[in-house]
Amino acid sequence: MKPGPVMVTALLALASSLGAADIPAHPRLLKFEPLVYHPPKAAPHRYALANGAIVYLVEDHVFPLVNISLTIRTGQYLEPLEKIGLAAMTGDQMRAGGTGSLSARDFDEEADFLAASISSSIADTQGNAGLNCLTANLDASLKLFFEMLRNPQFDQQRIDLYKSRRLQALARRNDRTAEIEGREWERLLRGDRHFSTAQETKASIESITRDDLIAFHRKYYQPASLIFAVSGDFPPKQMLAKLEQAMSGWETARPAVPKIPRPDHTPAPAVYMIHKPDVNQGRLSIGHLGVQRDNPDHYALQVMNSILGGGAFTSRITSRVRSDEGLAYSASSAMALGTYYEGTFRASFQSKSATCAQAAAIVLEEIARIRKEKVSAEDLATNVNYAIEVFPRFFSTPAQVAGAFAGDEYTGRPPNYWETYRDRLRAVTADDVLRVAQKYLDPDKLVILAVGNVDDILKGDPTKPEYSFQKLAGRQPIRRLPLPDPVTMVYPQP
Amino acid sequence: MTRRLAGLLLATAALWGQKVPVQEYRLDNGLKLLMMPRRGDPNVAAGWVARVGSVNERPGITGLSHLFEHMMFKGTHAIGTSNIAEDLKNLREMDAARAELRQEELALIERHRRGQIEDPKDPKARTPRHARLVEQYDALVKRGRQFLVKDELDRIYRSAGGSGLNAGTDSDLTIYFINVPSNKLELWFWMESDRLANPVFREFYAERDVVHEERRLRTDSTPTGRFREQFDSLFWLSSPYGWPVVGWPSDLEGINREEAEAYFAVNYAPNNLTACLVGDFDPARAVELAKTYLGRLKRGPREPEPVRTREVKQLAEQRMIAHAETNPEVHIRYHTVADNHVDEPALIVLASLLNGRTGRLYKSLVIEQQLANNASAGARGLKYEGFFEFVGVARPGKDPVEVEKAIYREIETLQKTPAGDRELQKVKNQQAAGDFRRLQSNFGLLMQLLSYDALGGWETINTFPPRIQAVTAEDLRRVANKYFAPENRSVGLYYTKTSPGARPAGGSR
Repeated sequence: MKPGPVMVTALLALASSLGAADIPAHPRLLKFEPLVYHPPKAAPHRYALANGAIVYLVEDHVFPLVNISLTIRTGQYLEPLEKIGLAAMTGDQMRAGGTGSLSARDFDEEADFLAASISSSIADTQGNAGLNCLTANLDASLKLFFEMLRNPQFDQQRIDLYKSRRLQALARRNDRTAEIEGREWERLLRGDRHFSTAQETKASIESITRDDLIAFHRKYYQPASLIFAVSGDFPPKQMLAKLEQAMSGWETARPAVPKIPRPDHTPAPAVYMIHKPDVNQGRLSIGHLGVQRDNPDHYALQVMNSILGGGAFTSRITSRVRSDEGLAYSASSAMALGTYYEGTFRASFQSKSATCAQAAAIVLEEIARIRKEKVSAEDLATNVNYAIEVFPRFFSTPAQVAGAFAGDEYTGRPPNYWETYRDRLRAVTADDVLRVAQKYLDPDKLVILAVGNVDDILKGDPTKPEYSFQKLAGRQPIRRLPLPDPVTMVYPQP
Repeated sequence: MTRRLAGLLLATAALWGQKVPVQEYRLDNGLKLLMMPRRGDPNVAAGWVARVGSVNERPGITGLSHLFEHMMFKGTHAIGTSNIAEDLKNLREMDAARAELRQEELALIERHRRGQIEDPKDPKARTPRHARLVEQYDALVKRGRQFLVKDELDRIYRSAGGSGLNAGTDSDLTIYFINVPSNKLELWFWMESDRLANPVFREFYAERDVVHEERRLRTDSTPTGRFREQFDSLFWLSSPYGWPVVGWPSDLEGINREEAEAYFAVNYAPNNLTACLVGDFDPARAVELAKTYLGRLKRGPREPEPVRTREVKQLAEQRMIAHAETNPEVHIRYHTVADNHVDEPALIVLASLLNGRTGRLYKSLVIEQQLANNASAGARGLKYEGFFEFVGVARPGKDPVEVEKAIYREIETLQKTPAGDRELQKVKNQQAAGDFRRLQSNFGLLMQLLSYDALGGWETINTFPPRIQAVTAEDLRRVANKYFAPENRSVGLYYTKTSPGARPAGGSR
């Protein structure tokens, strides 16, 4: 027995009781003023320019800074199959490759001297460009920003450098288990034929020419494709005039942008394993396809997932895998709502090779349990309250407010969505949670992926033989997936 | 162009005159409260820092600061239990069982040292007594769950809309933070003062395993994690900065709850803490709440001592050659100075001069010489020591040694030729804009104030920008000569080891 620590604890307890006359014994006895909050409305901030561009302005004079976040209707889904990487390269090289009046080097020098942060990129379903500058420098910074948007020059030397960097990065695609897990998980869920799983290869990168970049830019970067989110230190009228002027003479033909395609893949439920010999921890993903964000059940699904594994330490998967058993640092689940097509449900954790099977068994138990038992009133209240109380944080800075308006317009969210958001959450009942768990979680459809030292993962924990992946796989064989050649992305035939 | 910018800079300097208006209040027990009220969304970023980190550890308990950070979420006498008396009794029995288990583990470690067993953790090597003790311990864990109210601290905050509850440990400090809705300010004072006044380190040994998983996640199972760790411990000769914040594996397996409690008594006393609030709140009310809640903490038994062991002077260059699943890279690191040293602003300006699209490293190594695909530099002032590091990623086909040599040529230029006016002004302009950008988010400002206060005083947020603006080209030349000497550096060279999946059967080296 060790008297030391006990004495320390007793002493501290005494100290607290002495000075604690006014302190309630438990936080549940505290009283709080109600918090009244109304989300900002988009309409008063929205302007349509003569050329078709949309602008959201959120004025704020606390700091002498202006921030522009621009969304462009384009995306990687628009690039041809043999030129995977074209959209990302176009986005990057718009910023890197100079403009009609400034060489790549001069553009960089001028932007850096102005301390203007200027960016450009193209992601899977949208293009982005950004400007953050001092108010005192606004005109000169805007000039650079619009030169980049309207008249990028795509300097050949910078293209060559970009390609060299990309090829170097491609070769390293099988180094990190986290990267392997992310890539192969998407393939298992979305298949090989969807743009979201298309991979750059040496051949695709090398095939892209400067003319391809010029053509891609010209096709999609037009005023009617732009939504500006502008926040910071400016008078709105002046800002609108500056934007109008900066875009004068820019042709206004709206490009025909095809719809974002949905994946047509049905995932094959099974246990999959990918071998990476040099690591002592396995990375696990367990899940299946989910729902799109316009599904009216998504409020109940959000609460359900929050109780199951999305609610940090109060959620069941985290609590059992991490704090009960010490099997993982991070263990959670996510119900990702799809914007354009169905999203995914995915539970994940990382555990030392020997205990991956035990942790996976716990995740499966919790999925089964939330489909069987109604959640407690307390679990429901904790997670509904959280979602309601944390709501104002979606709009905590002027840049966030403007960005939310622009994002909602780009993705076509219904205009009253945020106004009714908290009421919809408040209406979720324990019965709803049970119903959506049964409807949208399906143990028979689960895809289980483990990346790590497969030999050790399969051995499991010798002191706990009751846990094994073979058991989890049932009668099905465990499927070993090969790693592709990281440069060509050709997978060896089994 | 240059004239116009000079005007801009004057305007910026005038705005600095306002300074960041932090209000400071000190409680009788020594705890410092920093307040930065701002209108905006109805939230408060709230946190506190303990001026303790891995630099305050010693061999045997490396990683304790970080493990301890995890323990601060395990509840108190009031939070996390349905029966505190039974709970404490059970915890004591668990400690006793663990102490006996430790004897068994030490015996296995000794047998391993003698070469009698291959793996000290192999269950087959355990004695029957060992197995019995494990069973007894597991039974106590199970019994303890009767009185355990799981993760109640998280649950209370969460249902009150507290978000981003977390903490972070570094070599010099440990920060605890959250965002709370404005109407929950009192809840924050209740919860934080309670866990400082009456903590109970429940689930200690399971959490030790969690931390070990964190180590596997960040260090062991990433391509370069263990090499970075080796480079750190090679670089520091005598300083405790040489061990990793997460701790050595053997220590993570040996640390016990008694050590955590002793550590808490000294390092988490109010005289070693600073609390901070940034956001929508009334400072007068915050001071009242601080007096009521944080005022109940008792000053520590003694003031924590500064770290005694200082870095000895390095006499000869050190080199590490690694083969890893990563790009061919070179890391060159020099000993410099601690965070509050007079040379720190010049070192930071020097790093900025080298970095970015218009930095010297990119323009010279990447664009002109085409030796590297990326190159960067960084100045890092810690509480007691500091370093300056260059990193270069070789272009495919180039040896990292070529990149290393090119970096030395850049250093030589810095040592011989003063930086140009425009180049220096550019860096200062960027620093000036950055000073505003860094203040925009409440949470970001909270983290800066707490970190600054742990290292040298929160006032740094106001005193540092003018010191940056005062740096001259001659200062840069001087520090480049003073610190960038061959015998003062350690060099890490990384060569690419091929991914096993990328080649036919036969495995990898």
